[in-house]
Amino acid sequence: MLTFQPEVYVPSSAEVSRKVADALIEAHGLTKTYGSFGALNGLDLKVLPGEIYGLLGPNGAGKTTTLRITAGLIEPTAGSVAVSGFDATKDPIHAKAQIGYVAEIPILYESLTPRELLEFEASVRGLTRDHVNRRARQLAEAFEVVAAFDTPIATLSMGTKQKVAIIAALLHQPPVLLLDEPLNSLDARSSRILKELLSLHVQRGGAVLFSTHVMEIAQRLCSRIGIIFRGKIVAEGDLDQLRARAGEKDATLEEVFMKLTNEASEVENTVRTLRESFFDDEGR
Amino acid sequence: MKAADAWRLSAIPYSEMAFRSILQNSSNMWWGSFGRGSSEASGRDDLVKRALRIARFDKLVITAFVIVAASAPFLPQVLGASYGISASVTLSLAVSFALIVLYGVQTLSSFVTSGPSPVLSTLPLVREDVSLVNLFSFVRTSDYLVVGSVVCQVFFVSLVTGSALPGLFMLFAGAVNSVMGVGAALWLSSVFYRSILGSKRGKRGGVLRLALLLAWGVVVLGIGVLFAGAGYMIPLVQGVLASPGVLTGSILSLVYPFSLGISVGSIAQGLAATLVARLALGATVTYLLIAVVVSRWSMSSIASFPEGASGTQGTDRARDTSVPLHEPVTAYALKDLRATSANLTSAFLLALPAFETLVILLIRAFLPTLGASTILVAMTLGGMVSLILPLVLVSTEGTGFDFAKTMPLRMRTIVFSKALIATAVFLPAAAVVYVESLLKPLASPFSVVIPLASILAVAAASTLEVRLFLGFAPRGRAMFALQEFARMAAGAGIVLLPATIYAISYIFTFNHILATGAMVAVASAELLAVAEFVRRS
Repeated sequence: MLTFQPEVYVPSSAEVSRKVADALIEAHGLTKTYGSFGALNGLDLKVLPGEIYGLLGPNGAGKTTTLRITAGLIEPTAGSVAVSGFDATKDPIHAKAQIGYVAEIPILYESLTPRELLEFEASVRGLTRDHVNRRARQLAEAFEVVAAFDTPIATLSMGTKQKVAIIAALLHQPPVLLLDEPLNSLDARSSRILKELLSLHVQRGGAVLFSTHVMEIAQRLCSRIGIIFRGKIVAEGDLDQLRARAGEKDATLEEVFMKLTNEASEVENTVRTLRESFFDDEGR
Repeated sequence: MKAADAWRLSAIPYSEMAFRSILQNSSNMWWGSFGRGSSEASGRDDLVKRALRIARFDKLVITAFVIVAASAPFLPQVLGASYGISASVTLSLAVSFALIVLYGVQTLSSFVTSGPSPVLSTLPLVREDVSLVNLFSFVRTSDYLVVGSVVCQVFFVSLVTGSALPGLFMLFAGAVNSVMGVGAALWLSSVFYRSILGSKRGKRGGVLRLALLLAWGVVVLGIGVLFAGAGYMIPLVQGVLASPGVLTGSILSLVYPFSLGISVGSIAQGLAATLVARLALGATVTYLLIAVVVSRWSMSSIASFPEGASGTQGTDRARDTSVPLHEPVTAYALKDLRATSANLTSAFLLALPAFETLVILLIRAFLPTLGASTILVAMTLGGMVSLILPLVLVSTEGTGFDFAKTMPLRMRTIVFSKALIATAVFLPAAAVVYVESLLKPLASPFSVVIPLASILAVAAASTLEVRLFLGFAPRGRAMFALQEFARMAAGAGIVLLPATIYAISYIFTFNHILATGAMVAVASAELLAVAEFVRRS
């Protein structure tokens, strides 16, 4: 049995409730449809200060759509989401000032260099020179991208692009971080540093909304997990709360997830079919 | 792998390359708009289909243009002109060469930066097969253009001479010309994109980019001049080539593509044994050898694409992380300038208004004084050309626009920054007029005010255009085309109105002071109205 042992600081539910202030992210009835397809179907979500909230779900469940709506990249079909109390659709300027966003695939101006990109971002956000230079140096050294600072982003490796995107998201020290599968392209060292940074971020009262489909990451990193399935949060809480919800006392997060998303029997059927077809192929 | 299989397979990497080229530049042209999900999931399949349709349509339109351009020089002979065809063939080859280069550079960016399809390298194909597929997908980028231009050249030479042999030699000359054109496009793309992607930013890279930009400008202007002056040039050049003992003819016979043109002409006349014809034939053989070398180089370059054709990371490593800061509008404009200059086509468009104004002034250079009408026409046409820039600046946002969308940016910051660039690149057009006014007396001293009014009008027009391009997402292709036209027409109307007011005022009063005053007043009112519209929206 896996126990819930975070490798970085994660505030307990009690600590979170002690800190309770207004939620830094609050979504109500968030709905997004593409034609007849509903990517989000009335999703409700609340992320408190000091929390790393993991959105856990299979591909196409609505994780990225939730993050993109919160970041102000797309508008919901219905419902609303507020960041630090600012409505992301009605007051996007104030909402976006509170956010640092890292997309699953880095979205950057690829013809610029990292220095030019940060110059653009820091200028637009109205940051001070001292703050920018100190923060840029710290982050660039931590993620080992100083040498690439004058190299066009288009020519950087996917991992380095991801690091640049993370630096850009952290540059202005926003209270809310929206991270869409941020560890995907990172090496072990950078993953560790990012996790530590997230830990420090929530210790200072910030909040992180984090999407992943990797159970281990969610289990180790997040103080609360929301299981998203077909555009809705079907369960949320820490691992014990999720186990209780699933009625599986000693289950791993993967088992809980399978149970709550009703995928366990479907997966078993698929595996059985595959096994049979492989044996049939070998028999021929 | 059989060549037929490789050709069939090459359609896939070609489609991928066409898609990437269009996606790089068009995130806000054909789908979505600011704040409305340019990359929303539902549109992805449709987006790919649309991109490929655009690529095919684009190639067909350019091919039609190349055919018209390559055929036009033969019109005098078709209409009964009695002089030889050397100059016509030369002009036709020059125009098709330049157009192949221009089109090639635009479509080859994906090829040069990342190869046609990295996926090919992961398939169980031998290296030779991958190279063959790459070669064919490369051929697909300009197949219509090459075939179209060569077929029409062969057709017209055969028609005008009434003989198969010159037509056959034209086929050979057209093939050599196409190889040279495609090779030049490949080289130009490689040098330009590697200068951007392969090295640290610096003065050297900037100078190289500027030099390439000017070379690009010369090619574009060359086409314009060839078109504009074809009617005068063909008989003139033909006369020079036909005059024995003229040194100019001998020199021209060695210059590409005159050598090919003179060779075709001399074959049509039964291999005239003049010095010019002999020199041209000798030079043609040399150019044939060069074409062989060029084709081999092109093929080896294309074959190396699977190994990664991009410049990758430069050898220069940064040592500090200092970040300069600016006002938001300036920062956005700087970002746009950097992004725009990273693309040869869009970079050249930044210089186009000044080039256009210069061309107009050169055309009217024979006039003893610099008249108000010349300034008005030059500035208005320069202003009309600058109206392309808002669309270019919006298009070059590319997929990176999502990065800007996550920032606390007001729409007006983006609009004013792009309008600032569009207006700034129009300023050299006014400078050209003022330099001309120093060299030539002005017909009316008040006409110096005309460029100022034009600058105000261009500022108003580009501000409105950017706002319209960013603001509304059309639904459906027909609506898109209609709205795109309407946006451009709105800008054109704003540029034309002050010039029209000037013309009407002058026609009724013959008073330059009143006419220029009216022009400035209208242009100022336009700018104020548009600024207020953007501020409120």
